[in-house]
Amino acid sequence: MSTDNGFLLIFRSASWYQDLSPEQMQQVVESWVAWMDRLKAEEKWLGGDAVEREGRLVMGKTRVVSEEPFADARETLGGYLVLKADSLEEAVLAAQQCPGLSYGVDVEVRPIASKYPRLDDAVSQELTRR
Amino acid sequence: MATNVTETAPAGLAEHLFRREAGKLVTALTRVFGLHRLEGAEAVVQEALVRALRIWPFHGMPRYPAAWLTQTTRNLALDIIRREANFEHKQQQLIAFMAQWPGRAADSAPLQEADLRETRIRLLFACCHPQLSPEAHVALLLRVLCGFSAAEIAGAFLIAESAILQRLAEARQTLREKQVALVIPDGAALFSRLEQVLHSLFLLFNEGCKAASGEVLSRAPLCQEAIRLAESLVEHPAGDQPKAHALLALLLLNGARLPAPAESAGNLLRLREQNRSQWDRGLIARGLYHLARASAGEVLSEYHLQAGIAAIHCAAPSYAATDWAQILDLYDQLLASDDSPQVALNRAVVLAEVRGPQAGIDAVLAIPDLPMLKSYYLLHAVLGELELRQNNPRAAATYFHTAVQLAELKSEQLYLTRQLQACLGR
Repeated sequence: MSTDNGFLLIFRSASWYQDLSPEQMQQVVESWVAWMDRLKAEEKWLGGDAVEREGRLVMGKTRVVSEEPFADARETLGGYLVLKADSLEEAVLAAQQCPGLSYGVDVEVRPIASKYPRLDDAVSQELTRR
Repeated sequence: MATNVTETAPAGLAEHLFRREAGKLVTALTRVFGLHRLEGAEAVVQEALVRALRIWPFHGMPRYPAAWLTQTTRNLALDIIRREANFEHKQQQLIAFMAQWPGRAADSAPLQEADLRETRIRLLFACCHPQLSPEAHVALLLRVLCGFSAAEIAGAFLIAESAILQRLAEARQTLREKQVALVIPDGAALFSRLEQVLHSLFLLFNEGCKAASGEVLSRAPLCQEAIRLAESLVEHPAGDQPKAHALLALLLLNGARLPAPAESAGNLLRLREQNRSQWDRGLIARGLYHLARASAGEVLSEYHLQAGIAAIHCAAPSYAATDWAQILDLYDQLLASDDSPQVALNRAVVLAEVRGPQAGIDAVLAIPDLPMLKSYYLLHAVLGELELRQNNPRAAATYFHTAVQLAELKSEQLYLTRQLQACLGR
């Protein structure tokens, strides 16, 4: 599997933070920041952002615009980041370090698709030899 | 104040920054939203903290975290003001006010700081409104001014979170229904309200050290908050009264001795085994300063007397070298204004130091309301201790046996069990 394009980490959760006290929120934010800072320091961070909770959903054929894009509160997208990793396993390993997991945040790890068809190793060697 | 709990300072953020800022921001918002919308102010601040939680990880810690939170709170508040119809008539005025409040923390304007301090004291007085119970005062202070969650307050008081939530909801409703204004009362009303404030701060502090057993980690912070609030109170003209200084002195002098076994606070018997080198000299110095300020007037309140007693303990190089005679004198005065059996019990312990254990035992048995103390472990512990000193290990053992069964804290139970074994060993 090509890994040149990195991996998309998508953070989803219900509003797990609503019931935290300020003191707890400070602890959580410190651990999150430290985690993401570490990814940056290790040059594994290729980009990322938090997204607002409000938005619109434009729905399929009807083109109806919904103001409540999130059918399931559990699914709310909080942010994403693009991670550099050598394999899906390594990307998953990094995702498993996310401090939000303890609070019920789900992290979806998806390899970013390559623009060009993947070449089989044997074929690629054959091609270069020619 | 040092605590038994090891708290590592977070990388980048000041300790308790979120909690402290939450208290400040709710205070500042109350100026705009009014006391009747306290919950709205709390919700806005909570939302600002949530935004920090969602956004900071992606961009790293902001250079000025407090300023970031302030600005975000301001924006969220402005959104609400613009959106809500009942703010409409005030909108321009409020937007103008909000626009200059509270400024960029980076250049923290002293004027706005003063404004915030003023609001904080007004809120302190409002939270201690006579229509509310002292328990409600304490819960409100912790929630609104100190940034604790209902769960944290419940944890510290060892009661259900739902009970605290209900207490807070009722308190906010009362403030709303009675249309309590965000002003400091004046004249005679100020005098009686200040009494309420002092009493509630005293209660808050005692909650903090009563049974700060190490089993409940969140208690020492309550003592710190009580001291912080009392300090900001005496810095304000309305609170700059001898009695307020006396209370602050008492909190500081008792707080100074908390780093030692906190569970022994209020238990004179265990003062003997405290390591005095662990007492916080800085807090003692501040306590003595405010005790001096407290003696400015004619008033001699219970806080004066108790602070005086605490000061003698703090000044004594050892348990044996304590000026017990002077402490006894203060206890006699205290008993004249507060004839509660608890005070009488403590006085008896002191009396035993001055006139011997038998005098102490006699004094305990002569307490008029003695039956009220029957299920109080300390009564039996005191009698056990005094009987032991009288060389009556058998009588002492009986008392200690009862005390162990009544003691709620593990640390007290351990201590009493040791004493009991000492009796049986003789």
